[in-house]
Amino acid sequence: MKKALNALENYFKNFGIAFVKGDIWVKLSAVLMGAGYFARKQVINGIIMCLVEVLFVVMCIGYAAPNLAKFGTLGTVQFEQVFDPLTMTSTVNDYDNSFLILLNSIISLFIIFVFIVFYISNMKAVYRLQQQKENGEHINTFREDVRTMFNEKFHITLLTLPAIGIVIMNILPILVLIAVAFTNYDQQHMPPNALFTWVGWSNFKNLFTSSVTVTFGYSFKKVLVWTLEWAVLATFTTYIGGILMAKFINDKKTKLPKLWRTLFIIAIAVPQFVTLLLVRNFFADNGIVNTFCNSIGFTDFLKNVGLVPSNLSYIPFLTNPGWAKVMIIIINIWIGIPYQMLVATGVLMNIPEDQIESARIDGANPLQIFIKITMPYVLFVTGPSLITDFVKNINNFNVIYLLTQDVFVTSDQLLANSNAKEVDLLVTWLFRLTNEYYNYKMASVIGIIVFIICAAFTLVTFTRTIKGDKEEEFQ
Amino acid sequence: MKKKVLATLLATAMVAGCLAGCGNSNDGAASTPATEEAAPAEDAAPAEDAAPAEDAAPAEDTSSAADASDPIATLIANTSGTVALTVWASEEDQDLTTKLLDDFKATYPDVTFDITLGAESESTAKDTILTDVEAAADVFAFADDQINELVQAGALQEVAAHYTYDVAAENATGAVEAATVDGKLYAYPMTADNGYFMFYDSSVFTEDDVKSLEKMIEVADAAGKKIAMDISNGWYIYAFFQGAGLELTLNDDGMTNTCAWNAAGGTDVAQAIIDLTASNVFVDMGDEDMATQIAEGNVVACVNGTWRAETAQEAWGDNYAACKLPTFNAGGKDCQMSSYSGYKLVGVNPHSANLGWSMLLAEFLTNEAAQTARFDARGLGPANLAAASSDAVQSNPAIAALAAQAAYATPQRVGGNFWSPAETLGQILASGNPDGTDLQELLDTTVEGITAPVE
Repeated sequence: MKKALNALENYFKNFGIAFVKGDIWVKLSAVLMGAGYFARKQVINGIIMCLVEVLFVVMCIGYAAPNLAKFGTLGTVQFEQVFDPLTMTSTVNDYDNSFLILLNSIISLFIIFVFIVFYISNMKAVYRLQQQKENGEHINTFREDVRTMFNEKFHITLLTLPAIGIVIMNILPILVLIAVAFTNYDQQHMPPNALFTWVGWSNFKNLFTSSVTVTFGYSFKKVLVWTLEWAVLATFTTYIGGILMAKFINDKKTKLPKLWRTLFIIAIAVPQFVTLLLVRNFFADNGIVNTFCNSIGFTDFLKNVGLVPSNLSYIPFLTNPGWAKVMIIIINIWIGIPYQMLVATGVLMNIPEDQIESARIDGANPLQIFIKITMPYVLFVTGPSLITDFVKNINNFNVIYLLTQDVFVTSDQLLANSNAKEVDLLVTWLFRLTNEYYNYKMASVIGIIVFIICAAFTLVTFTRTIKGDKEEEFQ
Repeated sequence: MKKKVLATLLATAMVAGCLAGCGNSNDGAASTPATEEAAPAEDAAPAEDAAPAEDAAPAEDTSSAADASDPIATLIANTSGTVALTVWASEEDQDLTTKLLDDFKATYPDVTFDITLGAESESTAKDTILTDVEAAADVFAFADDQINELVQAGALQEVAAHYTYDVAAENATGAVEAATVDGKLYAYPMTADNGYFMFYDSSVFTEDDVKSLEKMIEVADAAGKKIAMDISNGWYIYAFFQGAGLELTLNDDGMTNTCAWNAAGGTDVAQAIIDLTASNVFVDMGDEDMATQIAEGNVVACVNGTWRAETAQEAWGDNYAACKLPTFNAGGKDCQMSSYSGYKLVGVNPHSANLGWSMLLAEFLTNEAAQTARFDARGLGPANLAAASSDAVQSNPAIAALAAQAAYATPQRVGGNFWSPAETLGQILASGNPDGTDLQELLDTTVEGITAPVE
């Protein structure tokens, strides 16, 4: 933290030094960015810098200024349309589209930020040129500068494209998402016909407080707890299951190991949503599994035991909260194990044979070898992927949504009042809020919370597992 | 060094590819207006030609013989280049709509159309449209319950004028009412059969049996069969509460609800639903399940709509019958079950680039001929008065049942906060109130959810 602050301080200090100690040309560069280059006879560099500056000014006047002027209110002119029945056309007024204003403003702010960074580095570069001149060092011609881009600075050339991609595909959308969390963008405020505006922290307050009518706080707690329970259970059941499965298949006594492995991989080959929708139908209240259980008397047995309410004539596999949660985890084991088995197979094959050999000579039984040698090794190698699996499971949309959508009806009235269900993960709740209720503001807030949870968890566990010199132990 | 050169080449190739891609699309965009600009010059002549074609086209429109004040003639004259329209109709309606679109093109031979037909269920049209109104289809079919939200989102062009037939006068009053918001007509009625009623197997029930739900349960119990209704669904559970006179209405703001389900008598209705389902003869069942259970012969009567008519007809054959919903007993009083009347409507997107043609197409898809064709092809009840009075329509049992139920049906006007709480109430009541919550408390929480303010 301190380091970062120091670096930031130096960054601006160097800029100040460049400005104060620079000669007239460097000072002139503060206004006309190319000036410093012209003075050192780098004409092409100078022209490029001037062009960048002109482009920036044009962008500011033509694009950034009109949008940023409305950024504070996100627009004030409501959409209006007048229809002329004779010509069968309609005229639309010059209305404000809050979403476009928000989006364009964020892009503008981002460009301005990039330009400032560019501007500061330009001042420093110009000052460096001055110093080089004073010291009588060689000053690169344009051609030489270009050549450095292919040699010493080749990484910059290569990374430009991916960096632009990340900015456009990741950073800007995330910034917009964060901004939406502070607005009242929902079904009542949907552009182009309506405007939305800033509301500060009130959406966050809603998520953490419960009143009689706004039950987001209550639902958030319940959904979060189940999300974490699910992530832990789903990750560990498939992980352990996968390792055991790989171990069994790899065992010397297993016949036709390749056949078994292929069979399990076929389960992966079928698209998940097809299998999940089929499974959902199998376990429907009047589905094939229920018919079967009924005819062999299993339903009655469960009723006698008390696992199924006596007024039901079927097993509520996916319609009762408790049953549904257990079923979801079991079904997830079934579709998740083959993946983990593949990973584990690779790892198991790489366990140093000598360690196992020596353990066997020392008289360790297979279970001890598994617990003391195999597992620690596998855990070490797959640790990072275990963490990503956990995070993936927090956001595991497919299994939950496809198995319960249109089937599961919550019987918790407070959950229902904020459109949540007992089996919802944060991400499925978020999906339903956006897709069925257009509650973009709350969805953004939940999105941010999910991000914070995932980021915090990943940071903590990654630093824990990678810390230390564990690698040595396995060499 | 060689590797670096190769890598750079690849990178530049990618950039060049991108630029080339952009360049091409720009060219494309630039060339379209160019041709359009060229078109009017050529079109000056065909403008006069348009008049005779116009005469042949909308035959009903005899009042104006293609003079300057005729909007359709003006529209044809003002149209240059290809008219691109997107139409959304349900998956089941694709064949019929394709045919109607061909007819539409034939009606205006002087105009080049490029009409794209997309599949979008009427029941979920709103979800797709509201995601991005400007990107939605020009003309789309939707169920009337979505009209409020669509109007609010500005996704419906007001039907301020009609050109080929009088939309308000030629359709049933209920349908026109369902297409009207705040006294303004916003859509073209397409079918009048989207409500629900009772299907039954007449080999099990007599016509007298189906008058009361209690009697039906008795008969079905004796036969060892079931009666199905999707109780854990706000749309259907409404039938009980409205039937007992407990009202649910949409407030003037068009978003929030007023709900009297927890008023005096509410607990009687809740208790009645618990009692009715306790027998395990009257069961809570979703639409898809119902279809399989009817086919398997377990369900001999169900509350559902015309979309299940075929399933029931196949399963019960000549014994297939339909009637209005029965009465049920709440607090010692027989109440006639109410229902939501439902209509399917066609709407025009106000953001359409070809508004005039979209409106003409919407009229074409909903005129008498189209509604008759829709009934002939798919058995959907017409909203058009002339089409509905034909003998074929009158003798259709499902549509007759709907007509009988119409007296007790109300158009669906309800804010978004209704569905989840009502669904959960249905779920709790249909499973016999397993937690034993006080019924008044249960209803109070539901009403709180239904009437919650929308921020």
